[in-house]
Amino acid sequence: MPAAAAAPRKKPAPTKTNFAPVTAEVTRIPLDFPQRRNWWIFFVASSALLGLYVLSMVVLFWNGVGMWGVNIPVNWAMAIAMYIWWLGIGHAGTLISALLLLLGQHWRNSLNRFAEAMTLFAVVCAGMYPILHLGRPERVFWMAPYPSTLGVWPQFRSPLAWDFFAVATYLIVSVLFWYIGAIPDFAATRDRSRTRPAQLFYGLISLGWRGASRHWLRWRQAYRLSAAIAVPLVVSVHSEISLLLAAGPVPGWNSTVFPPYFVFGAAFSGFAVVAMIATVLRRAFALENLVTPRHLDLLGQLTLLTGMLTAYGYFAEVFSALYGNDKADLLVLHDRLWGTYAWSYWGAWFFNFAPLQLLWIKRFRINPVWLFLISLSAATGMWMERFMLLVTTLYRTGLVSSFHSYTPSVWEWTQYIGSIGLFMTPFLLFVRFLPMISAFEINEARDEGKTVDEA
Amino acid sequence: MRTRAEFETAFEALGDAARRDVLKVMGAALAMSGLSACEGEPDPRAIPYVTAPENLIPGKPRFYATAVTFGGYAQPVIGTTYDGRPTKLEGLPNHPMSGGTTDAFTQGQVLDLYDPARSQTVRRDGRPASWALFEAAMVDNARRLDARQGEGLRLLTGATSSPTFARELKALTDRWPMARWHVFEPVHEDGALEATRIAFGRPLSMRLQLDKAEAVVCLDADLLGPGPHQTARGQAWAKARLAFQQGSGRSHLLVIEPAPTQTGVMAQDRLAAGHARIGQLTQALAAACGLGHATVALSPRETDWIGKAAALLQAAPGKALVVAGPQQPPEVQALALQLSARLGAIGQTLILTEPVLLQPPDGPTSFAALTRDLLAGKVDTLAIFGCNPVYGCPADLAFAPALAKARTVVHAGLHLDETAAFAQWHAPLSHALESWGDARAVDGRPSLIQPLVRPLYDTRTIPVLLEALQGRPGAADRDLVMQTWRLAWGDGFDDRWKTTLPKGFVDEPLPAADAQAGALPAIAVPPDGGLEILFRPDASAWDGAFANNAWLQELPKPFSTLTWDNVVEISPALAKEKGVQNGDVVRVTSGQRAIEGPAWIMAGQDRGTVVVRLGYGRRLPGGLADQIGYDAYPLRLSSSPWRVTGDLARAGKRHKLAPVQPVTEAELADFVRTAPADQARTVKRAKTVSPSFYPDKPQAPPQWGMSIDLDLCIGCNACVIACQAENNVPSVGKGQVLQGRHMHWLRVDQYREGPDEAPDMAFQPTPCMHCEEAPCELGCPVNATSHSAEGLNQQVYNRCIGTRTCSSYCPYKVRRFNWFDYTGKDSPQVQAVRNPDVTVRSRGVMEKCSYCLQRINEARIKAELEGRPIRDGEIKTACQQACPTQAIVFGDVSHPDTAVSRRKIQARDYVTLEEADTRPRTSYLARLKSEGA
Repeated sequence: MPAAAAAPRKKPAPTKTNFAPVTAEVTRIPLDFPQRRNWWIFFVASSALLGLYVLSMVVLFWNGVGMWGVNIPVNWAMAIAMYIWWLGIGHAGTLISALLLLLGQHWRNSLNRFAEAMTLFAVVCAGMYPILHLGRPERVFWMAPYPSTLGVWPQFRSPLAWDFFAVATYLIVSVLFWYIGAIPDFAATRDRSRTRPAQLFYGLISLGWRGASRHWLRWRQAYRLSAAIAVPLVVSVHSEISLLLAAGPVPGWNSTVFPPYFVFGAAFSGFAVVAMIATVLRRAFALENLVTPRHLDLLGQLTLLTGMLTAYGYFAEVFSALYGNDKADLLVLHDRLWGTYAWSYWGAWFFNFAPLQLLWIKRFRINPVWLFLISLSAATGMWMERFMLLVTTLYRTGLVSSFHSYTPSVWEWTQYIGSIGLFMTPFLLFVRFLPMISAFEINEARDEGKTVDEA
Repeated sequence: MRTRAEFETAFEALGDAARRDVLKVMGAALAMSGLSACEGEPDPRAIPYVTAPENLIPGKPRFYATAVTFGGYAQPVIGTTYDGRPTKLEGLPNHPMSGGTTDAFTQGQVLDLYDPARSQTVRRDGRPASWALFEAAMVDNARRLDARQGEGLRLLTGATSSPTFARELKALTDRWPMARWHVFEPVHEDGALEATRIAFGRPLSMRLQLDKAEAVVCLDADLLGPGPHQTARGQAWAKARLAFQQGSGRSHLLVIEPAPTQTGVMAQDRLAAGHARIGQLTQALAAACGLGHATVALSPRETDWIGKAAALLQAAPGKALVVAGPQQPPEVQALALQLSARLGAIGQTLILTEPVLLQPPDGPTSFAALTRDLLAGKVDTLAIFGCNPVYGCPADLAFAPALAKARTVVHAGLHLDETAAFAQWHAPLSHALESWGDARAVDGRPSLIQPLVRPLYDTRTIPVLLEALQGRPGAADRDLVMQTWRLAWGDGFDDRWKTTLPKGFVDEPLPAADAQAGALPAIAVPPDGGLEILFRPDASAWDGAFANNAWLQELPKPFSTLTWDNVVEISPALAKEKGVQNGDVVRVTSGQRAIEGPAWIMAGQDRGTVVVRLGYGRRLPGGLADQIGYDAYPLRLSSSPWRVTGDLARAGKRHKLAPVQPVTEAELADFVRTAPADQARTVKRAKTVSPSFYPDKPQAPPQWGMSIDLDLCIGCNACVIACQAENNVPSVGKGQVLQGRHMHWLRVDQYREGPDEAPDMAFQPTPCMHCEEAPCELGCPVNATSHSAEGLNQQVYNRCIGTRTCSSYCPYKVRRFNWFDYTGKDSPQVQAVRNPDVTVRSRGVMEKCSYCLQRINEARIKAELEGRPIRDGEIKTACQQACPTQAIVFGDVSHPDTAVSRRKIQARDYVTLEEADTRPRTSYLARLKSEGA
């Protein structure tokens, strides 16, 4: 196009797409919050839960980890179950955001921002548990490889040492990925801010974004690169988490199926929670035109897919125990199926997979109420699974003489219920103050000729 | 009665505070009042056992030979003291009775010394008084008694064998001929003495020579069970068993018993039968051996058992022994004695001596006679020294109300106990470890008791109180003991005293008495009155004397593994019949008397037998034992102290029980293997070692390992308490045990398999396995548990952050976690018992068996100073040292000629959970079949 090149630089032709409505729809929410009363109700409730969390933490640190019901042999229970559960939920955000970005699936654009935020807060919730459950939480930094004057280092053969790196890396990458992805929308919010504090706040966090081509070029490189880093992390981090259990010589844990089993389970519970959040947000903030039935449909399909993969993990576990015919493995299987905590095993089967089957039918996938309920069931089922994997394995293992049951204490429950506050409170703040849907990415897709459904 | 009320108000101020809080409050108060009396130095006149350094070297322990008493007998020990603090008791190595071993009670006695609930001051009518007032009152009283030749003076003590007490008593009765001595000992051996009287014409003590016996038949006799004889008998039995293992001699043990005992577990054939039925079976056995006639109808199983027993006994003339337990009617015991005599046991496997315990004038009816006299108003002054009759009194003797009829009641005890509440005067007694004294061991050898520490509080010993009673205050306990032995030894006293004191005992067993068996006793069949309710001492609290000892309270009881409670033990069949489950409160009635306690279903118990355990339901305000468990004494009769008949019904309540091991049913072969007898003499085939991902560990000597012979382990729990004392293992209380948080580094696992009526049972001590490929080491993210060059799996407390990965990965679950701060709030007294060589663990860290690393290092330092390698047997772990049967051996496994290597090469050597492939350094020797050997 030599002629064009020779032509003097002109203002770019106005695009055929009108970006304003989408951007305005997204940015109006932090700037002119629509649901103040409901938001406050939720915020007060979740702050109360957060308060409960802090209280439980103070009680725990003051008295010792004996405040929980853990014992010998069940010295890992709720806390570790919660850790795995929260982290698993987090993974879906990364998968939706980063994996679908790399695969060019534009429909993710309506979901990725809040899914990433969900990841962040879930990782924070998860990351607290390994600290809370320590006997001496004030020494948690000994897990980090720092140049101690004593010359002591972490013990690198330990899955917990790997875990430290895995979770720390994941947290950092998740924060970066989420932040990079949100910068253009922060700028858009800045541009529409009417008050000085809002302008300052959004101005600062948008890092001087002006929408220049160079900005977009750099941004795209950074965003794609961090996405490319984040995707394998999902697999590696949750595989690593599974090694906490699988690396020990414990019948019922010591199994090679654990890493994929955990990753699928993580994605499953995560997609379920994303679907729950999506249905609630679109209803609460009237975003039905951005989060369309097609999005719900796709979320439902993903949930179904990962759910069935998880079911395969269940099947494989039972099969390998029966096929292996190892006495100890069979005993663990027996305890899972018929033991004291059989409710957690059968509960996991039921809540995970029974309502899930409705998702084969499109009508249930696109109906937000059904999708929410089925997702809630899956999140519950996955919680039971994590509990089951820890407790039914440990309470009867090795020598018969050390069999002992486990009952979660009140303070274990409050710590768990409180952690929902630890998740919800920052999430509500995010919804309140930051653009929760990636407006510019929807616009970009629309510009490429896609409908909102596809974008 | 008035005094009791006042006594109780003193504790009302504490309100409903939890027991532990009370302890804390008391501990704090005692810190200021009590320990000021402790000057931190041992009595300078005591002579150390091994070496006598010129000056005390801080941090270096001193060892003194001394003894503690149990049931009136001496348990000879070496006491370890650090800077004047006794911390540990070990058996006296040269003593022929124990061979340097101990039982759980003896191990626990060092904690009794520091019991924060001990009485510390003289009291009058419950209010603090002084020794001066007490002694003045006694001088007055003595003057009064002089005028009436001691009439109305009664002395009541527990069973005793002390020569000094005997001398003091004689002096007292010489001066006051009308005074009278009585004995109150709830768990007594009167029946055995009566049996010898029936069989041989006069009361005699039986000294079983189990090491010489090749065929032993126990008729309701728990020879290897808890009690003052356990160490002696366990040690002797193990000698015979070892000989059998090595192929010289046989080892047959057959048992009939109403309820499972440790002896029953070791038996090759165990038959459950009711208490009364055992009398008939004894007759049948005697008849089968050609002694007398029996017209008892036998079941096929009984016929089989008796046929087998008779054959084995008769095949071992001079090496056979038949023993009926001291709880059996004296006639049955006498028949068993005569059967033994017929089998040539006398002088061989059974030595009869004059009674080791001093015998009160009224013999077995001593306490009943005192109560009668009290009620008749014949008692003016009653001195109750070192026993607690108000608590342990049988139901038919109204002792406590009768006390009101005495003019003066003087009580001396370690605690302000139930009896103290009824006494005008209470005097605090010294613990054996802070006293001069003497007593005889079960074999009759006198032990000298020298103090390991000056009395912690201003307390006195019984001989000193006897002097005070006679109006001679201020006597020194040491002088009184010396006087006894000066009289006995005459001119050579000074030298002999100096040589005997460090040695700890006088090597003069009671000589064998001449005994001729008389006519066969007639055995009456008691009328059938419903269920047979048997009284048995508790394996932790005994008769109540040890109830306030936290170590013993938290010691899992044999079979049930219960802690901090006593239970009503019933058979599975009876439980089914009555619809009773573990923890259901049941009401046990006999005549008009009734007690209520939680039930426990005991597999292997005779159907119609109900066992109630003594020693609980104490009223000891401020003590750990206060109001835990139920009191079984109100069901007991002085005329029938071991068995009553009655009934049992559910009371409709539940009681939470805290077993350490909730599940005992298991496939025995998984954990406790049994092998043919020749496997003890054959060498095992070398196993190929499975490959490991990680490089092999260096194997330069020494490499430590342990071997536990399950063929010898009698499940006595001495090792558990020894470990607890040695390694500062905290007691955590019932609540924590219920949550699965007991802290024992070494536990004795209990397993049973097979039908509930006749299960196969086994014990298995389980310390840390010190695996070569230890999963815990792999799991710890901060290197807090690591492998030493000598193969030890070490726990580094101050590096531990408490992730508990090690415990999750440990297949043996031998690791213990400090869920709370279990040690920081201990009272100063309890802190004083700690071994300074072992770190006290803080909250949030993992701990576990270290193979007594401190002992290894001590030996290493010594060996290096002397420029030699560590000798085999030089290091004894605490559990090994305590074990009466020497089932535990520790040493260098890299050297083929050490004791432990010689054991591990046996064909019956195995490790548990071999499939986990952690290559444990602790291995087990399988139990051996006795038959066909």
